[in-house]
Amino acid sequence: MSLLQFLLSGLAIGAVYGLMGMALAISFYVTRVINFAQGQMLMISVMIVSTLAAAGFSPWLAVIAGLAASCIVAVLSYLLAVKPILAFDRFSFGWLVSTLGFAVAVENAAAYIWGPTSQAFPPILNNISVPIGNAVLTAQQILAIAIAAVLTAAFELIRKRTLFGKVGMAIAADPEMASAIGANTTAVAIIAFAISGLFAGIAGVLIGPSTFANPYLGGTFGTYGFIAMMIGGGTEKPAAAMFGGLLLGVLAEGANATINSQASDWFPFLVLVVILIVSPRGLFSSGSAFLRLWPRRPAVARG
Amino acid sequence: MKPPMDSSRAQITLPASTAPGGFGILRRLMSPVFIVAYLLFTYAIAQSNLHMQSLALIAAVFAILAISLDLVAGMLGLYSLGQGGFFAIGAYLTTILATQYEVDIFWLLPLVLIGCGITGALIGAMSLRVSGLYFAITTFVFTLVLTVLATDLSITGGLQGMLGPAFPDFPDSLATLGTAVVWCVMLALLVAIALVRNIRKSPLYPVLLSIRDAEPFAEAAGVRTKVIKVGLFGVSAAMAGLAGWLFSFLGVVSPGQFDWSVSLNILVMVLVGGINTTLGPILGAIFVTMFPAVVNIDPWIQEILYGALSICAITLFPEGVVGLVKRHLGARLRSATSADREEEVSVASAPIERSVVDDGAPIVECRGIDFGYGTGLKVLRNVDFKVQRGHIHGLIGPNGSGKSTLANIIAGRLKPQAGSVLIKGQRVDGQAPSDRAKLGLRRTFQAAQLVRELPTSRNVMVGLYNSVPGIVRRSAFWPLLPSGYRDGANMLRQSEQALRAVGAGSWVDAKVGDVPHGIEQLTQLATVRVAGPEIIVLDEPATGLSVSEVDHLARLLGQLKAQGVTMIIIEHQTRFLFPLCDQVTVLNAGEVILTSTADVVRADPTVRQIYLGE
Repeated sequence: MSLLQFLLSGLAIGAVYGLMGMALAISFYVTRVINFAQGQMLMISVMIVSTLAAAGFSPWLAVIAGLAASCIVAVLSYLLAVKPILAFDRFSFGWLVSTLGFAVAVENAAAYIWGPTSQAFPPILNNISVPIGNAVLTAQQILAIAIAAVLTAAFELIRKRTLFGKVGMAIAADPEMASAIGANTTAVAIIAFAISGLFAGIAGVLIGPSTFANPYLGGTFGTYGFIAMMIGGGTEKPAAAMFGGLLLGVLAEGANATINSQASDWFPFLVLVVILIVSPRGLFSSGSAFLRLWPRRPAVARG
Repeated sequence: MKPPMDSSRAQITLPASTAPGGFGILRRLMSPVFIVAYLLFTYAIAQSNLHMQSLALIAAVFAILAISLDLVAGMLGLYSLGQGGFFAIGAYLTTILATQYEVDIFWLLPLVLIGCGITGALIGAMSLRVSGLYFAITTFVFTLVLTVLATDLSITGGLQGMLGPAFPDFPDSLATLGTAVVWCVMLALLVAIALVRNIRKSPLYPVLLSIRDAEPFAEAAGVRTKVIKVGLFGVSAAMAGLAGWLFSFLGVVSPGQFDWSVSLNILVMVLVGGINTTLGPILGAIFVTMFPAVVNIDPWIQEILYGALSICAITLFPEGVVGLVKRHLGARLRSATSADREEEVSVASAPIERSVVDDGAPIVECRGIDFGYGTGLKVLRNVDFKVQRGHIHGLIGPNGSGKSTLANIIAGRLKPQAGSVLIKGQRVDGQAPSDRAKLGLRRTFQAAQLVRELPTSRNVMVGLYNSVPGIVRRSAFWPLLPSGYRDGANMLRQSEQALRAVGAGSWVDAKVGDVPHGIEQLTQLATVRVAGPEIIVLDEPATGLSVSEVDHLARLLGQLKAQGVTMIIIEHQTRFLFPLCDQVTVLNAGEVILTSTADVVRADPTVRQIYLGE
């Protein structure tokens, strides 16, 4: 396999990991909660798209319905499993119990409805091959990379340039202060969770043609998304999770190509451990040892 | 005037000392009764059928894991998701060495305990660079890595796993006891319960909670917080390893039993049952492990129900089941604490004896201190600061002039970029706050650093940490040791005395979270006073106090001075501060403007301009 081939395939799968990482990071950003049900949102969109497509609907209509379902599940997870916990104590770990419980309930409900076996998923763009240099990608893979780039850029633009994004940043920094100056923390959190559901749903639609529809997809992709977020330092900057995901995808593909076909099972963890030892909050976090190599201009004190 | 006051004090203290006595007999009977009941229960399980036994043993193994997590999560606030990892190490180490190398399983127990303990201390030391959620995440990654290793290495038997060693049966003479492995597991659980309960009854408990809630306070009281955290994390890991050792006797050991969800489930057990309670983790473990066996319906519906129930449990009882029960019982039992705090201060407390060689050398000295936060402006520039023994030395200056920063540098919380600090003529650069506390330096904080869920007297006990040797060493057996009983009672008495001495005698049993601000400040003062320090650094002690409380505080500080205690007081209220001070140093924008007597400072035109705003 050529270098270019595994680089590009790595970026394609990494884009999916990155989207999952960003999904986790966006809800974490506003609520300081890691949503263990994030993977289930990917799964729900995959299952809905598969079912509707099998029932004869247009795949694009099915995709829209699938994404809507992911958003709904995400908002439900906030209302049922996150909001009541944070209302009691913003710093307790109770959300861990409730989001995990939510994930278990959703996953098993899906297994109950659709059965535990894999079902067909519409190919979308997976049947179109595109040669690039000496590598061959499917149009679906190119779509994944393109969508990841567009969504990351759009998210950063919204976060930094719009009032809504700034309110989100204010809530991320200090929810009590933000609500004291009139920010509606609940509304912002609901929208953030809906966006995180959307990202997870899109990741599902992108990966569905190669994994097919299975109710147990959520756990795997949730874990990879988590690793992507931690490698990148997405807990501080959601966009950093995308870079973590891309790095993870390329490294996993590279390990498969150069070590052996099982290497992608353990290699990402090794990378994660090394990165966390050097920089406990991820590659692109503010205190990162890697960033210290290129120091920013020191902050200027005012007043 | 004097006699009625004495009697009123007696009235206040009497109920406090008799109330626990009444419950004391009941409480002392509880442990033996519990142990007998526990052994009878174990006997019954050991006689029962295999199904019952496996249910009870799995629940017991997970109860040990939950207790091991509660030890660090409940008492130190370290939410470890590495317990599953240590559990796996214990189980795999035992299985591999016992089945493939035929090592005796009883030799493996100490090996597992030590191995997991050391691994735990290492992982803890590495993960403690980050706190809170990030600590949970780094330990979680450790578990993920171990699961992957167990799946992919050849020695672990891959996904299929391997059959664990068999636990030997009782010899014939003891055969009436039933299944031996049941006794082994249940006794191990009893030891784990006893260990955690003993720690909770020992004076180490308030120390641990102070590390959790108010680490600067614990450090200033002489506690080496990092060492204790790493050490206790090692103990917790060893306990999880013990659970793994036990688990290997119960059947097959495979990666699926240790995957990342196990670590999360252990935390679920602790949170659902009630964190930082003795019984909570056990109840949680029983709920989580027995749920699938007891609710015998379609497995998917059952899982859905489990998920829904855990959401309900944590949203309806955010403090866990035991936490909820405790709060309701606590509210009923809590004695009505009298609101009378106009109690006069007893001047009788014995002067602190020390052989002082007053050679005129300063007791605290800062030489050429430079400090800045990050890469920003310097907060302190070339600060020279000398405090004479026995003086009250005021430190004033506008907001942002670097007063608290200087206090933090003297106490050792911050490291200066240049210059050095001398305490009693000894250079202390690079010494941790806990080491400086051993030199007789104590401090209070601007925003009181105390454990809100503990009574004031328990908070004051933290201040005695250095004066009673072996608190950490003895804590595992504390209530069983005669010396522990004696020292514990002594510490409590000293703490209550210290609280009475500062005039908070009627609040000894009240939780810090429930007392007014003034009492909180006095409690802080008692925590430093109880240790009989030579030097006290007070960071804005009068902030938020009423006029009469300020007068009361001034009298207390005057008494301390009469006992020969040196004090550095940071304060804005010059009306309170100046009459007390022998010397006053004025800081402005990180530089010393002037050090002199209060009168000179008050008259100085520069000071009047920059500080008094004229």
